[in-house]
Amino acid sequence: MKSFSSFHPTILFLYYLLVIFISMFTMNPVILGCSLVGSILFFSMMNSPRAILKDIIYYFLVFILIAITNPIFSHNGETVLFFLNDKPVTVEAIIYGIAIGTMLIAVIFWSKSYSQVMTSDKFVYLFGRAIPKLSLVLSMALRFIPMFKEQIKKVNQVQKTLGLYSSDSITDRVLSGIRVLNSVLTWSLENAINQADSMKSRGYGLKGRTNFSLFKFDKRDMTILIAIILISVIVVLGFAFNIFEFYYYPAISILKLSRVGILEYIFIFILMILPFIIEVKENIHWKLLRSKI
Amino acid sequence: MKKDLLVLAFIILLISILVSGTKIQSVDEYYLTHIDDITEDSETVTISIRCDTILDNWDKLSPELKSEKYVPKDGVILKKTEYVLRSGDTVFDILDRAVRHNRIQMEFQGADKNSYDSVYIKGINFLYEFSCGPLSGWMYSVNGKFPDYGVNKYKLKDGDVIEFNYTCNLGRDLGHSFK
Repeated sequence: MKSFSSFHPTILFLYYLLVIFISMFTMNPVILGCSLVGSILFFSMMNSPRAILKDIIYYFLVFILIAITNPIFSHNGETVLFFLNDKPVTVEAIIYGIAIGTMLIAVIFWSKSYSQVMTSDKFVYLFGRAIPKLSLVLSMALRFIPMFKEQIKKVNQVQKTLGLYSSDSITDRVLSGIRVLNSVLTWSLENAINQADSMKSRGYGLKGRTNFSLFKFDKRDMTILIAIILISVIVVLGFAFNIFEFYYYPAISILKLSRVGILEYIFIFILMILPFIIEVKENIHWKLLRSKI
Repeated sequence: MKKDLLVLAFIILLISILVSGTKIQSVDEYYLTHIDDITEDSETVTISIRCDTILDNWDKLSPELKSEKYVPKDGVILKKTEYVLRSGDTVFDILDRAVRHNRIQMEFQGADKNSYDSVYIKGINFLYEFSCGPLSGWMYSVNGKFPDYGVNKYKLKDGDVIEFNYTCNLGRDLGHSFK
């Protein structure tokens, strides 16, 4: 099911860094589209269809919100649709809003699958030796929100089973919310101190301390590493030679589609869809093996 | 929880649109302006809009604006034109009338949007502040002098000559220096 996450943590980290950086620092619509498609496809390989559908509907609404908010604040652009309070609402601003929305949601979906693939043990494995304090703080901070949510749910349920604040009135719900939040906040502070203490007592970050981990850098990792590096060099060259140049204001520029340009876009598409391909390949492999039994 | 936040964001957006007013005009309605005819005894002012400094700093200009459509070859966006001065007119009123009459794009920050109570001209003819380097933007002068306050604060007299100039170096290339 999670074949991509079985790769070496270095590769996973490198891949996510590359993909998120490319998505964040360009406004080229083709790259953003590839990134969105890749992130959603990979995310949908790792979750149940219901969870995916719920997420997609929610983020679609966020997307619409961004797309309509941009033309209200941005008035640049040649093609004016109408004037709202003496300010032009332009096609360019709407399309720019759509592009920002695409970028944001692509990065959100990448981050969602990142938190599922790069678990904190992998992160600590990567950076525990070089920057022990920071990596511990980071892994604890990243873990904080899901743990906090879980604990709130638990405490809330306990309160309900005790028969407290179980009526439907709003004041009751607010009071219970405050009480639960209060207790969970103190719990999380205590938990953080406990965690730090227990790591310290195990000698975390001391000189000469060895780490045990099951991650091995094998042939499969090497091939994928070479592929990622090759593609990223090609993509960076594309950025350097302004192949992905694209403007929204004052008029939307035409996409430059030279032969090299198309090749570059194909490489970007492959890069973005790489984890999805790996998952699909593994699934087919698994089904084949099972059919032989 | 997540859904509530989203609904809240939509409601805030809707309220802010409603509060700020919903005056919708079509493009032609917006540009339809009444220009008084110049008669013998009417008071007039002249206005011109130029962007010559960009031609000297062409390499600093944002690449998407490097077209004759946005930066005319001679640097003249609006040639010297005479407009009738109505009583109480400020520089901003004349500029607004002139650009609407000539269908030139203009974006400004309203007087209620900043703490100086003054209108700020962000861009004319798609040439915005910072379009040509970090020190670029629009400046105005009346009778050759650069006032140090906003366009909506300058009350005009008969015969005033208004010039809007694009600067690429905080007005130094227009012969103005801050004290």
